Amino acid sequence: MAVSQDRLRTILAWVVIALMAGPPGVSVVLGVMYGESPCVLCWAQRTSMILIGLVGLFILRYGPRPRYLGMAVLLATWGVFMALRHSALHLARDIGQGFAGTYFGIHTYTWSGIIHVSVLVVIGALMFLLREDAALNWGRDLARTGRVAMRLFAAVVAGNALQAFATTGPPPFVGQADPVRFSFNPRRWVWSLDEWGLDRISLRGAWTVPGPDVAPVDPDPTHGPLAGLPTLPISTWERVGVTLNGTLTDLAWDAASRRFLAVTDRHGVYVLDSTMSRVFHYVVLDPGFSIDLTPLAGAAFLGDTLAVLATNKSIVLLRPDPGADADREWRHFVTTDGTVSELRLGRVATVRARQMFVMSLAYDPAADELIAVTVPSPRHQRLVVARFSRADFLPVSERVPMLAPGLTARDSTRTLADYMVTGAVVADGLLYAISAAYSTLLVMDVEGRAVFAAYAVPGLERPTGLAARGTTLLVALADGRVAVVERPAPIR
Amino acid sequence: MEFLNFLLILWAAWLLWRHPERERLAFGILVVSCVLMALLFLVGTRTSLVPGVNL
Repeated sequence: MAVSQDRLRTILAWVVIALMAGPPGVSVVLGVMYGESPCVLCWAQRTSMILIGLVGLFILRYGPRPRYLGMAVLLATWGVFMALRHSALHLARDIGQGFAGTYFGIHTYTWSGIIHVSVLVVIGALMFLLREDAALNWGRDLARTGRVAMRLFAAVVAGNALQAFATTGPPPFVGQADPVRFSFNPRRWVWSLDEWGLDRISLRGAWTVPGPDVAPVDPDPTHGPLAGLPTLPISTWERVGVTLNGTLTDLAWDAASRRFLAVTDRHGVYVLDSTMSRVFHYVVLDPGFSIDLTPLAGAAFLGDTLAVLATNKSIVLLRPDPGADADREWRHFVTTDGTVSELRLGRVATVRARQMFVMSLAYDPAADELIAVTVPSPRHQRLVVARFSRADFLPVSERVPMLAPGLTARDSTRTLADYMVTGAVVADGLLYAISAAYSTLLVMDVEGRAVFAAYAVPGLERPTGLAARGTTLLVALADGRVAVVERPAPIR
Repeated sequence: MEFLNFLLILWAAWLLWRHPERERLAFGILVVSCVLMALLFLVGTRTSLVPGVNL
């Protein structure tokens, strides 16, 4: 199956010619004709293809030495990675929302992936065709096709150098994330150092969002971002009287059935009686089966359906069902008392609240929509009120509430994003949210357009949940204690 | 920096073509060029090797 050295040399020369005449060469022509210029990531991918061509010339000149083949494989592999990394920025956007020009309907960053994979295939095929002693008896003569490949390579690289000088400039200037149109007119050249602005080294970039943690927050209401808040005293304390499988992370009250819904950070879901001393229904969800469930953080009654939300905005709908088939439900639950069925497991889609965790869940029965409030992270300092449809878990609205007149920030650096909302509930057309940070109750319209009242609740120790019962609010704490406060009904 | 890298590549190609006895130097330039290319890609991604996806 091995081919002669001359034939192999000719094949390799044509591979180099095809590679150089492909994206690296065509792109220069398109740059001159249409002003098309690569971004900083495209430049690296184009350079990688050229370097693979250079390795091809090394092989043409010196033979298929192992370090050349190794370098070609390394370059092609890195090129595949670059193409995946670059394409990931654009592939999942909405229809037609790619970046820069397309060729045969495919963007350049995708072509880069196709070509680098093709290079790996070609390397494999050429190695398959190599004779065992090919590297030992390799003549130095480039032959005619090899000389053509060499000249074309030099011309293409020179063209790229010219384009790079015009659009990215000499060192230390570097390519731009948003590329500048190519022009021969120096007055239109934009040389930039912006990409050198590395403020931190992070392998995950904006995806580096630590899981929410209330432990380090300051519970003192007088240190909060809003000044001069009225105080809402705790009138009495109640307690979850049953043993839970983990930390209590939210509480909901259903006036119709006079039952509580409690969830824990270890995926426990409990339906309790009105005194929280007896368990009617109990399951532990399987966090690793199917959709990922981080610790549960929100609970709400949707009529006779139970909704529980994890901090990663995965949601589970359950229903108390005395006739549940325990064997059928076994796949959903780590532990079950045999009286609960899973109706649906899904994820809440968000846009503005993307890359942010939540620690609350409320239900607006008037709109049949669910509400979650984001918690800030070192990466994303925002408070977003996200409403989503019960039917499809898609977003209905995502608002960053404003401060209504009458409420003032302590200083210009303080915002509502300083709060860490760990419980939310809708009552009488208002959205109440309790913050573990600064032990403050926020009152908003149910759409989350504005916070128009806020109350300091001294005595809370980093609350984890909020429920409404009649004219009172029940503030749940991690240790199972529940603070009862009168529910304020501020006039907007 | 991209311009500099293309100059390096041209230099290596020139050595291959006109001074094939300088193979070690040419290969060294190739390695430097590869490292520079990879470095510039990482600069463009702000060192974020992994895109915004769940691993």
